Formats: sequence, C-alpha cells, structure tokens
Amino acid sequence: MRYRVIAAAIAALALGVVVATTASASTKSHTLVVWLQVDAKTGWPKVVANATAAFKKANPGWNVNVQYQTWGTHLQNFDAAIAGNNVPDVIEMGNTEMTKYMAAGAFANLTSYKGKFANSSHWLTGLTNSSTYNGKLEGVPYYAGSRLVTYRTDLFSQAGVTKPPTSLAALETDLGKVGSKVTGVPGFTPFYMAGTDWYSALSFVFDYGGSIATFSKGKWVGQLASTKSVAGLTAYKQFFLGYSPHSAATLDEANPAPYTVYGANPGRAAAIFGPGWYSCCTGNYKNVTGQFLMPSHVPGQHMTSWLGGSDLGVPKQGHQQAQARSWISFFTNSANEKALQKVGNVPNATNLFDNSLNDQAAKKSWFVPTAKHWVDVESGNVIRHMLANILTGTPVKQAAQQADASMNNLLNQP
Amino acid sequence: MGAAAEAVSTRPRRRPLTWRRTRRGAVPYLLILPVIAVLAAILGYPLYQLVQLAFQRYQLPELIAHKGIYVGLANFSSVLHDGVFWHTLGRTVAFTTVNVGLTIVLGTLMALLLVRVSTWVRILITVGLVLVWSMPPVVSVQVWIWMTDVQNGVLNYVLTELHFGNYFQHNWFASPFSELAMVTSLVVWGGLPFVAITVYAALSQVPHELMEAARIDGARAWQIFKDVTLPVIQPVLLILTSLSILWDFGVFTQAYLLIGQAHILPSNYLMSVYLWEEAYYKNDYGLGAAISILMLAAVAILSFVYVRRMLKIGEVDR
Repeated sequence: MRYRVIAAAIAALALGVVVATTASASTKSHTLVVWLQVDAKTGWPKVVANATAAFKKANPGWNVNVQYQTWGTHLQNFDAAIAGNNVPDVIEMGNTEMTKYMAAGAFANLTSYKGKFANSSHWLTGLTNSSTYNGKLEGVPYYAGSRLVTYRTDLFSQAGVTKPPTSLAALETDLGKVGSKVTGVPGFTPFYMAGTDWYSALSFVFDYGGSIATFSKGKWVGQLASTKSVAGLTAYKQFFLGYSPHSAATLDEANPAPYTVYGANPGRAAAIFGPGWYSCCTGNYKNVTGQFLMPSHVPGQHMTSWLGGSDLGVPKQGHQQAQARSWISFFTNSANEKALQKVGNVPNATNLFDNSLNDQAAKKSWFVPTAKHWVDVESGNVIRHMLANILTGTPVKQAAQQADASMNNLLNQP
Repeated sequence: MGAAAEAVSTRPRRRPLTWRRTRRGAVPYLLILPVIAVLAAILGYPLYQLVQLAFQRYQLPELIAHKGIYVGLANFSSVLHDGVFWHTLGRTVAFTTVNVGLTIVLGTLMALLLVRVSTWVRILITVGLVLVWSMPPVVSVQVWIWMTDVQNGVLNYVLTELHFGNYFQHNWFASPFSELAMVTSLVVWGGLPFVAITVYAALSQVPHELMEAARIDGARAWQIFKDVTLPVIQPVLLILTSLSILWDFGVFTQAYLLIGQAHILPSNYLMSVYLWEEAYYKNDYGLGAAISILMLAAVAILSFVYVRRMLKIGEVDR
C-alpha cells in the first residue's frame, strides 16, 4: 500500500514536470543573434539600443543578443560558426569582405525585400555594389567612412597658414613652413601617416588616374605598374619622405593609431590623414583642431577618397531570416543613420547627406576591385608590402610590378 | 569450467591456470583502456579527420555546403611545388636551430649559475624564472610590443640614455630578419625557465667529489664541464632539446601576434604562421591539412636523432 502511494506520487510529479515544461516551451522567448563590430559598442551604443527596442516592440516575445566582434578575428569566428551550424542571424561585414562570402553562397538573397529598407533607392553606390553579387542583393549598406586631414589650427597659423591648402603642392609648402616653425618637440613631424596605410596612399594613385586592377577578357590584371599608377605612387613617395617620419615607413595605421601621435602630450604631429572620426581623440588639442579634404595635385580639387564601410548580411543558414531583416530595417532607418552621421560616419544614403566634409569626400571615392579573392590580396598584405618597399628604397616601378604579379596570382584563383 | 579447474588442480604444477593467467595479463590493458578511449576521442578522431581533409578540396564554398571534394594528392602536390613552402621550411629550420641553441645554452649557463650563488640569490632568481614561465604568451607579446614601440617604447629610451647609440624612434620590426630576431628574443626568454630549472635539478646528480678531484688535478672549468658534468646531465639535455625542437618548430602565438597580421608576409613566414594564413585566412582547409601533415613529418625528422639517442641511453641504463 505504501509503495503504491509513493509510485502514484512519483507519477504525479513526473506529469507535473512534463506539463510545466510544455507550458513554458509554448511561451519560451526567441533570440535573435546579431554580430556587430566593437566600433558600434564604443561609438554609437544608443543606435544599437534604439534598434533593439523598436524591434522588440514590433516582435513581441523576441530578444536580441548583440555580440561584438573585432575586425581581426570576426571572419575566422564566422567560418567556425558556419562549420558548426551556429551562424548569427545578422552579421556586419566589411565592404571589402563581402564579395568572397557572397560568391561562396554564405548570404541570403535580399533582392525582393530591398524596398522594405529605409532610403534604399538612395543607397550609396559604393556600398550597394559591395553588397551585390551576380545581380542579387545580399547585404544592406550600414555606414561608410571616408578619409580626410585632421590638423592643428594653432601650428598652421603660427606658420602663417590661415586657410587650408587647395592643391597638393600648396600643402607641401605649408607643411614645410609648419615644420620649420616648431622647435623643442623631439620627434615632431608636420604630417604623420603610416607608410603602409594603403587606404590613404592609394588615393594618390587614383588622383593621377591610375587604378588597382581591371577585369578584361575574363581575367583580373593588376594595374599598379601602369604609367599613371606609378606617377601616383611616386608622388606618394615624395610626399611621405618629405613630410612624414621615416621610422613610420613600414608601420601600419593601427600601430600606432595616428591620433595617438597627434593627441598625446606633446603632440608630435601637426596633421594626420585618416577617418573623419579622428576628431574624437585629439586629446589636449581639442580646441585647436580642424579638418580639410586632402587636396589633389590638380589645383582646386580634392583627392579621391577611400570609401570604407560595412554592410549587414543575413547568413543563408540562419533559420530566423524574417526577424533578421526586421532588425536590420530598424537599425538602418533614417533616424539611426543620422545618429551615425553625427559621430563622424557617412550615412548609407545620399539623401541623408548634409554637406559635411565627410559626405563631400564620400561623393568622390574609390573602391577595391570587386573580385571574389580580393580579400586574399588584403590578407596577404600585397599592397602594404609594396608601399613598404617603395618607401625603403625599392624603385617604384619594380615594387609595383611585384605587387601586380602577386595580385594576378591571387585574384585569378578559381 | 569447474571440471577443468578440478582436473588442473590435481595435476603437478607445470602449467599455471590458463584463464586466471589471461585475466591477470589483461588487467594492465583494462586499466589503461579509459585513457586510450579518451585519447582516441580527443586526439585520434581529429587526426583521422585531418588526414581525410588533406585529400579533399575544402574551401569556403565547401565549408558552407559541409561537403568536401575528393582530389587525391592534389593538395600535397600543390604545397610541395610551391616555392613559399620550401623557403618557409628552410627559414623555420634555421629559426628552430637558433632558438633551441640559445635556449639550451643560456638555460644551462643559468643552471650552472644557480648552483654557485648563495641561497638568497638562488631563491630570487628562481622566483623570477617561475614568474617568467607563468606569464601567458599573449600577455608577454603585448608587453614586448609596448617595450619596442617606435614612438614611446622604453627599449629605445633606455638604449639612447645609456649611450648605446641613437635609438630615437628606432623601428625594431623594419625587416624580416629583425622581426624574427624579436620573436626569437621572446621565445628564448619564455623557454629559459623550464630549461634552467630542469638542468639545475639534473646538476644535483653530478658527484661533487669527482668535480673536486678534477679541480685539484688542475682541470679548467670548461674541461670539468665537458668531462664530468656533461655526461651526467646528457639524458636531461637530450630530452630538453627534443622538447624544444617540437615547441620552437611549431611556435605560433609569439610569431603571429608580435609581427602582427598587417606585417605577415611570405618573407617572414614560419611554418605555423604559413599554415594559419593558408588554412584560416585564405579559407583553404584542405591545403592547411596537407601542410600540417608535412610539418609533422619535418618535426619527426628533426627530432629523430635526439629521440633515438634518448632511447639508446635508456637501453644502456636498464
């Protein structure tokens, strides 16, 4: 009798557990996994919060788990997630990284949903191109960034320069004046840039009418050794060796970040070349900092600027694609894009431009060849290596030919 | 079974009980069975997958489709015909030789020093060595980066202040040789404690009377070391050399992080970095698997001599 009571009690308990779990399963919340770069966490956390709040309101019972990645590791993490069938629902990709993954079939086709995203008819051509493969839209432009010069207004006016220069030659003359007027700061340089900062250096190539690579007769052909490109690279070499520290010839633009050379005390640079948001980190020189567009060698024009940027993709293996698109549409709406613009980025659509320097630079921009294996050229440091060689004595044409040979190899892989 | 046992127990003791002997004989194997099972799962299965992968084309599209394409020996052929592989192999062998040589020599010197100094100094040095040993490689790389920074590094500052020359804004990573030299300094620094402390322990086996006798007979320090000390600590040195070869040939963390992804080039590749670039950065997993198998073969060849000598010494001692 006692055992029967115990058995009955256990059965009741088991039944209760089953009922409870079923009940909770029916009201269990779903989670959307979003991978963004740390730039969002440090630069515009409110934008992310707004998007998540709006998404949750429109999709009750849903949570959003934003996981922040770093540029150096996020692709390997994505590869591991693909292999483990554990892809995020939304992922931020650099605009140069998209092509390889689109060609491999990693992203879902968003062409039929294009109209649902804000300002899609005015999206920046550069970003849209980076999100399109074989005519299919597989990414949503997120934001862009151009390059311009951040400079010390006090040091420039001390040297008698009151207006930003309007040609490259004028800039060089001004920098010479600035350098000669500054004494007592060891290691001071009129213009700090990293020698292998190809985002800045290749603007010289495009300024002289050159290009990186062209696609003809079914093959990619490197163009860095063409006459115009070599002219641009020679102009870059002359500019760098004249006004930037030679110890930076083989350094990259992350180590050290130019704004640390500029903003630390004492400031060791009168001008730096980089993204518009460098104005955030000017340290002691906040009130004496201005910006201007890098002038072209043609008087009166500015140099074509690198247009960096990010796109948002929906991995094809994801099972929650409708909600992923919903979150992206909230994240890239006009209000959020305007907020991104305020902190020094270029919004993803031209109708949101406000004629700031950043937006002006974005209107005349260059981009990398849209080749499937372009990202291998970047990770192989082909262009960085060429720039380091040029700045440390290798003849320009020879270094450019070596780079072209590497690119031909890498870009034409099957 | 009962009848057989009875029959056996009445016979003279010429053959022991067969089933009991089998059972006793099987006990060692049963005891190590759990370990074997775990090793098979953690090491064996991935190794099997790796070998399978080496014979497949497995790039990004295959990763997404979860299916490789069998290509036979194409990956191996591609690697062996690539000049970069052979240059990298040569460079890594040279790198390993220098690193192992420096680690063993400097470690032994430090161990000899530890024997000589007073107790307090010995404690201080040992604590220092243990602290070095316990520092994670990623952390030590970051410290090295800060110390050798072009703009604000303390190394440049100290060398200039001590009048070793003008090292103001000197770039310690300007050429592949200097990059690998910095990696060597970091790897040797990190590997010294293990060698020093192990050799110090081995030195306690050297008979003091023999050393004293040799010294009285007029033998110089180097002769004493060569003829008395070295034969005694030789087995330990062989073990340490084999281990160092294994570690330094495959070193990745220090090389990759110290040089930095933006500066990794075929001219400063080490085997493990070359593998990383091909397999993970360029998403060619099949090629990476082929390279890792070739690396395994290379390391086996490099350490073959030392391992064989170790086994020979073991046989003599038995």
